[in-house]
Amino acid sequence: MTDTAERAAPASPASAAAGSGRRRGFLSRHRASLLIALGLVAAVAVAALTGGADTTTPMDPDNAGPAGTRAVARVLDDKGVDVVVARSADELESVPVGSDTSVVVVLPANLGEVTVERLLEHTDGAAHLIVLGADIGSAEALGAPVTPSNVDLGEGRDAGCVDPLFDGLTVEVDSAPVYEGGDCFPGDLGALVLRPRDGLLLFGAEQAFTNDQVLRADNAAVALRLLGQDRRLVWYVPSLGDLSAGESVSMTSLLPRWVFPGLWMAGLAVVAVVVWRGRRLGPLAAEPLPVVVRAVETTRSLGRLYRRAGDRAHAAAALRRAARTRCAERLRLGSRFDPAGLVREVARRTGRPETEVARLLDPPPGDPGPTTDRDLIILAQALAELDREVKGP
Amino acid sequence: MVITGRVPLLLLLGLLPVVARPSPSTVWLWLVVVSLVVAADLLLAPGPATLTVARDPVGAVRLGHPAASVLRVGNPGKRRVRALVRDAWQPSAGATGNRHRVDLASGDRTTLTTPLLPRRRGDLPALGVTVRARGPLGLGARQRTLDVPGVVRSLPPFESRKHLPSRLARLRELDGRAAIRVRGPGTEFDSLREYVRGDDVRSIDWRASARTTKVVVRTWQPERDRRVVLVLDTSRTSAGRVEDVPRLDSAMDAALLLAALASRAGDRIDFVAGDRRIRARVRSARARDIAAHLQDTMADLEPVIAEADWASLAGAVTEFGRQRALVVLLTPLEPSAVEEGLLPVLPALTRHHRVVLASVRDPELEVLAGTRTTIDEVYDAAAAEQAMVRRRQTADLLTAVGVDVVDADAERLPPALADHYLSLKANGLL
Repeated sequence: MTDTAERAAPASPASAAAGSGRRRGFLSRHRASLLIALGLVAAVAVAALTGGADTTTPMDPDNAGPAGTRAVARVLDDKGVDVVVARSADELESVPVGSDTSVVVVLPANLGEVTVERLLEHTDGAAHLIVLGADIGSAEALGAPVTPSNVDLGEGRDAGCVDPLFDGLTVEVDSAPVYEGGDCFPGDLGALVLRPRDGLLLFGAEQAFTNDQVLRADNAAVALRLLGQDRRLVWYVPSLGDLSAGESVSMTSLLPRWVFPGLWMAGLAVVAVVVWRGRRLGPLAAEPLPVVVRAVETTRSLGRLYRRAGDRAHAAAALRRAARTRCAERLRLGSRFDPAGLVREVARRTGRPETEVARLLDPPPGDPGPTTDRDLIILAQALAELDREVKGP
Repeated sequence: MVITGRVPLLLLLGLLPVVARPSPSTVWLWLVVVSLVVAADLLLAPGPATLTVARDPVGAVRLGHPAASVLRVGNPGKRRVRALVRDAWQPSAGATGNRHRVDLASGDRTTLTTPLLPRRRGDLPALGVTVRARGPLGLGARQRTLDVPGVVRSLPPFESRKHLPSRLARLRELDGRAAIRVRGPGTEFDSLREYVRGDDVRSIDWRASARTTKVVVRTWQPERDRRVVLVLDTSRTSAGRVEDVPRLDSAMDAALLLAALASRAGDRIDFVAGDRRIRARVRSARARDIAAHLQDTMADLEPVIAEADWASLAGAVTEFGRQRALVVLLTPLEPSAVEEGLLPVLPALTRHHRVVLASVRDPELEVLAGTRTTIDEVYDAAAAEQAMVRRRQTADLLTAVGVDVVDADAERLPPALADHYLSLKANGLL
């Protein structure tokens, strides 16, 4: 038994190591993919936890910007009013509207005719339907055939009516539409408040509700009184889609009905092609790369070193020494030649004056050497030329 | 788990039901149906491991010459197997057309031949045989990579063998068999024969001529049974490439030519290769196929990024025997490496042996020294001149120690080394 255990012992760590090696292999091979997946999950989680991002739609209760109405919505919420936001006609229809509910409609310019019909039908049982800033089109659609005109209310306008809702309050906004035949906040051209029929109220000064202007005059009081009449408030912000819903002929209705499912099917086929082509027939064949060193590499780096140091004197000395050796070889002067003798021989061979040859091959000790790059190039080329002359035809 | 190209086609076929019943649910239903069919096909596919795969040994082939690897595939299972088989090799083995379609009934066997064309010297391994066995509908397949070891040994190409006939002819000229005789201090007495015009009068054997009425000359034959030790340096300096061929490969070429020539001349050849330690050793091979034997030994030698330990290499030379030998050091003439590593051990070698250093010269150095148009080129030229002066000094130093230096371009080194050997032999200096 012990014998077996002892024999098994060396094998088991090895197999365990192999197993963990395979696991580690999987982890390390897919580390990048795992990290990316983790990052995506984290991003989605963060987005979900922090809630929907703030919107920039004007008059939206979630918009904290100057044109938003978050201040009013929050205060209403604090005062015990249950604020429900609907951002499209479909959303609105999914919200139950009862006799304890006010519905406020902002941005009525985004209401299409069909949407207005759906809105009126759905909010039939509501206690109050309040439309903020209705323009001519939406006012007519809502059943109030009036022509609103824009006026400047920078000076403020008093309620001027007996309605306890607005009694003694003043509204002050930059500009707002006023309606002929309205009752409260009257002026020359019309009043801010129009009640075309029971339960429907048009309020022109929508700017009074925005975060930017809600603190001017009694705007806040107007807003809270107007919207806080009931226990629930449905805040309907029509989307652009509500403008054309059911009214225009969309591209999709012209296409055959099978086109979209067909596209889905084609997409699935493409995914299948990717899966089919993406699977390799066995692992990649790897090549252990050889050492690639060019033999001349060290010489080139030496040249770069000279260049970096700008050591012209050294480079010139190397070139001259090599030229002397080569000339001596060509003139068969032996390996231990006398520089002066070499100069004499070279001068005789090439027919050049001795001083010129001496300046090239063996300058006197006081010679400063080439001072500029150009001098060095000229010297190098002159040495090459001399070598060619010595070599002869 | 693999799907085949039929799966996307089958999915596209789903457009028909979608047109008939245009609804997203049709898409999902069709997807479910296709998935189930593919899953069933995958389950019914035979396991790739049921095939037996064996490989015939490939053996050795000279670099750049074609070879073939033969796989013997059998199906001992009860079911028919239709599969795609890929015989993967290291890319430099040049395995083209390594994908084979196999259709084996139960008990069938077949052979698959993968052509190989090695592009790199050394042992090039097979990396595994991947079997992709597809199901009865051909929609899914099961894939497994089997380990079927195999290796093709790619030998040094021995390009310089083209120089062998001419050198052998010169060797025969040295030999007594040819008309021209050579007389030298170290040559050996062969036989006596009658004088013919043209013979060197100094080779007349007067004592033998006195016994006959004819004039008799002695004939000589070159020395035989000498030893040649080839020392191949595989250290860092041999990794340098000259015209994209490592110096090591050019040195191998030269060593092979010299070995082939020396074996024909009746000499014994020892071979040692190493850097920091001894990598390969061939002892006293006299057979006529010494070149093939050396090729096989050299096949998997690669340059090592390490300094050569010349003391141990010289020790290996001494181990071959104390008889005087021609020691050929195949190492680049790199001033620093030679002066620091090789020079200290040379006296011990030159005392007993004749030493020749064969080095691959880089023609690019001269090109570099001759190009002097821009300032960068001038600095490079200065560096090249400096390097050449240093090389020359090192060569002079070696000559002073008693080493013959053969420094030639990669192309010219093998014949130059062979010629040097022949001249040594002709002068009886071995």
